[in-house]
Amino acid sequence: MSTPARRRLMRDFKRLQEDPPTGVSGAPTDNNIMIWNAVIFGPHDTPFEDGTFKLTIEFTEEYPNKPPTVRFVSKMFHPNVYADGGICLDILQNRWSPTYDVSAILTSIQSLLSDPNPNSPANSMAAQLYKENRREYEKRVRACVEQSFVD
Amino acid sequence: MGDSGGEFESGKNQDDLIMQRQREIEKEINESIMLVGDKESLSTLEAEYLSDEIYKLKVKDLATKYKNIRRTRPDGNCFFRAFAYAYFESLLDHKEDYNSFYNIAVESKKKLISLGFPQFTLEDFHDTFMEVLAIAGKEEPNAHDELHAAFNNQGYSNYVVVYLRLLASGQLQQDADFYQHFIEGDRTITEFCHQEVEPMFRESDHIHIIALSTALNVGVRVRYLDRGESTEAIAHDFPEGTQPTIHLLYRPSHYDILYPI
Repeated sequence: MSTPARRRLMRDFKRLQEDPPTGVSGAPTDNNIMIWNAVIFGPHDTPFEDGTFKLTIEFTEEYPNKPPTVRFVSKMFHPNVYADGGICLDILQNRWSPTYDVSAILTSIQSLLSDPNPNSPANSMAAQLYKENRREYEKRVRACVEQSFVD
Repeated sequence: MGDSGGEFESGKNQDDLIMQRQREIEKEINESIMLVGDKESLSTLEAEYLSDEIYKLKVKDLATKYKNIRRTRPDGNCFFRAFAYAYFESLLDHKEDYNSFYNIAVESKKKLISLGFPQFTLEDFHDTFMEVLAIAGKEEPNAHDELHAAFNNQGYSNYVVVYLRLLASGQLQQDADFYQHFIEGDRTITEFCHQEVEPMFRESDHIHIIALSTALNVGVRVRYLDRGESTEAIAHDFPEGTQPTIHLLYRPSHYDILYPI
């Protein structure tokens, strides 16, 4: 049955195919348009470069009035990513606007990889290393990048 | 996943826990209160405050000015939803206003796009808004029932709210220099819009009402039922000095619709 959320997700998917942003991709799973798989490629000139990071996006019937739940499936080492892959990003929580679509969500997460916010840490170790020991931070991130090839 | 090792000490996802609790509370409200209720006699309001002297006096005074109340669901969208319902309902009986408002609504999309709102998603909300507005232009005797049903259908009703939120946001951003004075803290207007206006379920304040009533040129009279000293529910008109088309009742953090005698 078509609902506003499903109709909107069809539109989001169409737009993502016709006008794909650089470095991200996403599609609904085979038999459920409410659950998507996505990939974000690590942005150039960041320690995440060359990584292919997998995510799942789970929508409810309240989309786009409420944000979806987005999680990294790939192991991440990032100040704003929780151990379970959950992402601490304002637009996915209290700054969500119904005008954001899947394309906007993925590109926002992509820029979070380039510009972590260590003041609102989901992973305090990553936040601390990012601020105080950038070399060690990058080493840990590179390990995730290499892991992402295997996954 | 799950292989967290020792390095993810702060791995408990507090945001998820808080959001889960919020969802439980919302579910309870959703199951017990309609998005927009039926017209009730104002005496149902009197019955709520029998043992409260301050409120009792004010409700008594309200009863000399208003005959009915229509309640809305307290989900943070009540101002926008009450505004849209009350105004569309008034358009049912005022075809000229309907025609001029229809044009304002058509034009509003271009204005929002020129202000930088993303066209792709904006169109979706605008289309639905126009679809619901069109019901208010119908001549059929059951148009009111149809409007009432649309406002109680989450899909339609919430899209109308989203579109009004975008209009309010657009107005604030367009006249940012003026509205900046009303923002507390050191937020910019754009930040304020992203945090307090555009997200659904975020409660409205004076500034939202001023912005929306100005954007659409619709006069709103809000009656304040609170613990303030006066013996009547004080009226505020938005935009200031305009003749009100719709009347709302404010009780701390909630808006319902009022119908004058």
